[in-house]
Amino acid sequence: MNENPYKPIDAEIIDIIDESPTIKTFVIVPQSEFRFATGQFVELTLPGIGEAPFTPSSSPKETERMDISIMKAGQVTGLLHECGKGQKVGIRGPYGNGYPVDSFVGKEVLIVGGGVGLAPIRSLFLTLVDRIKDFKRVVCRFGARTPEDLIYKESLFGEWPKIDGVDMKLTVDNSDDGWSGNVGVVTTIVKSDDVDINNSAVVICGPPIMMKFATMQALEYGFRPDDIYLSMEKNMSCGIGKCGHCMIGKYYVCKDGPVFTYEQIRKYPKIWD
Amino acid sequence: MDKVFLKNLKPLLDAIAEQMELYVPKKLGDYYSFSRYKPADSAEPVFNNIRVSSPAKEFLFPMREMAAVYGGKAETPDIKPFAVFGLKNCDLRGIKILDCVFKEEEFLDPSYVARRDNMFIISSDCFDPAETCFCNMVGGQPFAEEGFDLNLSKVKGGFIVEAGSEKGQKFVKDNMRIFTDLPADAESERDQIRKKSRTRLDEINAEYLLDNPINEIVEGCYDSPLFEEEAGVCVECQGCTRVCPTCHCFYLYDTKQKDYFGKMKMWDSCMRCDYAAVAGGENPRKILGDRSRHRLMHKFVYFLERYGIEMCVGCGRCVEGCAGGSEVRQLLKKLNEELKDKKHTKVTK
Repeated sequence: MNENPYKPIDAEIIDIIDESPTIKTFVIVPQSEFRFATGQFVELTLPGIGEAPFTPSSSPKETERMDISIMKAGQVTGLLHECGKGQKVGIRGPYGNGYPVDSFVGKEVLIVGGGVGLAPIRSLFLTLVDRIKDFKRVVCRFGARTPEDLIYKESLFGEWPKIDGVDMKLTVDNSDDGWSGNVGVVTTIVKSDDVDINNSAVVICGPPIMMKFATMQALEYGFRPDDIYLSMEKNMSCGIGKCGHCMIGKYYVCKDGPVFTYEQIRKYPKIWD
Repeated sequence: MDKVFLKNLKPLLDAIAEQMELYVPKKLGDYYSFSRYKPADSAEPVFNNIRVSSPAKEFLFPMREMAAVYGGKAETPDIKPFAVFGLKNCDLRGIKILDCVFKEEEFLDPSYVARRDNMFIISSDCFDPAETCFCNMVGGQPFAEEGFDLNLSKVKGGFIVEAGSEKGQKFVKDNMRIFTDLPADAESERDQIRKKSRTRLDEINAEYLLDNPINEIVEGCYDSPLFEEEAGVCVECQGCTRVCPTCHCFYLYDTKQKDYFGKMKMWDSCMRCDYAAVAGGENPRKILGDRSRHRLMHKFVYFLERYGIEMCVGCGRCVEGCAGGSEVRQLLKKLNEELKDKKHTKVTK
């Protein structure tokens, strides 16, 4: 364990993949082996510029490199998007709890994802399919604004839907000529009979507005609030439950989350703001 | 021997200053601030009747510091032993709260721990609480019973000096020449003075008597419009969080130096508008009333749930320092009345 929790370890960007007009995946090699559990996040430092929290999108099985998919949203992410291969970066973490994968065993797992929210989901998905027999089914309902905003296109249209035990549907908010799939927000492809509501877990990750409506829909379908898992995005700055920025009620998202059940946080107002 | 007698402050402070840097209260108008003690000063040092205006957290969690160096090497300051004289029980209780956060085993904050280990604390009894003091409302007393290396109780003709740690005991043992034996009636005099201060605090805060524990009041009135109303006088100066001995929010930022990079840690404030905002623009507490509620909830409810103590020591600095004239005791009293009404309505329904 790093003695100083504020000190990042050195890492290097060895590859950059354009996923969408606003999202790139950075392949990062940390100087030393780096282990994380799926759903945990890291603080990625652009030296001398700043740092921001991201959940790796690669499988935790890979300890020598990790993929981090980043949407251009603010100062640090904007500058990261201008970086090229060979850029030195820093990594702190991993932080937080991650997805409780073991508690999904024997159940159907419904994953509802949107936009850059597919980043943590990819890591979870890879973790689940790695032991797919442990789960009754993995049901994916993914969306993006337009077809070109869908990330991980190769996997989404390639091998992922073909995996035994995986049921995948995609949607876009707005279509173009080349799109033959569903058009509409992601909740339009989540149906009440997609999974056995009494023996399943729902994982929701995406923009706050999407998470809000997907959660409301899940509740309406009869999912219990403690079967709904939410990846909360707040201002996780220190990552170690001290600086206070990411608090939702009594919880530090960085330490107690970033994955919460709806049951845990439902009593706090403005969790989607 | 745990208790000895000291006639004048100067020999004690001189003896400490011989060993380490020493900070002492300095009178500034009606208030006190800390300054570095210079043994060469011939004047008898100041004994502060009440807490110093600036919070003791400054010594452990400086307003700005280098939290980490990366991508190169840099001289990091070697933290040497230092002493602070004039801390009151509210200050010591504030340090205990900061310890919960920065000495939390899972993630120790290295510079906090280094400063904490090197700090020699000389506290003293309060014998003239201010109108803004309310430690008695949050489980405090105007005198310290733990958390100090040495504690001074002012009595007739000098001070009772009590050692509260091994470091303190060793200091007393090594410096017996400056102390004398306790006069026969000194301890009973001290007890009376302590009782008087406590009575004075109870008088000061008589009008704010509450019917329920503060955490129940604040949580029970979570939806109260009073938080929004309270925000009406706030000018968002963030002064309350700066002077608070327990507020510990900070902001991390990166800096580029000639041959290394640094991660800086700087005080932040949950009362700041963009405090909780994320890069995407969402902000769960963009409304001031939500921020003032979160601050109170954190102090009296969330921290208590997490660490088992509330995050307010009743020092009253926020009352004294508020540019808008906000008064936490009045707010608590109003919330108390609201909760009483709520409970009453429930019963009569």
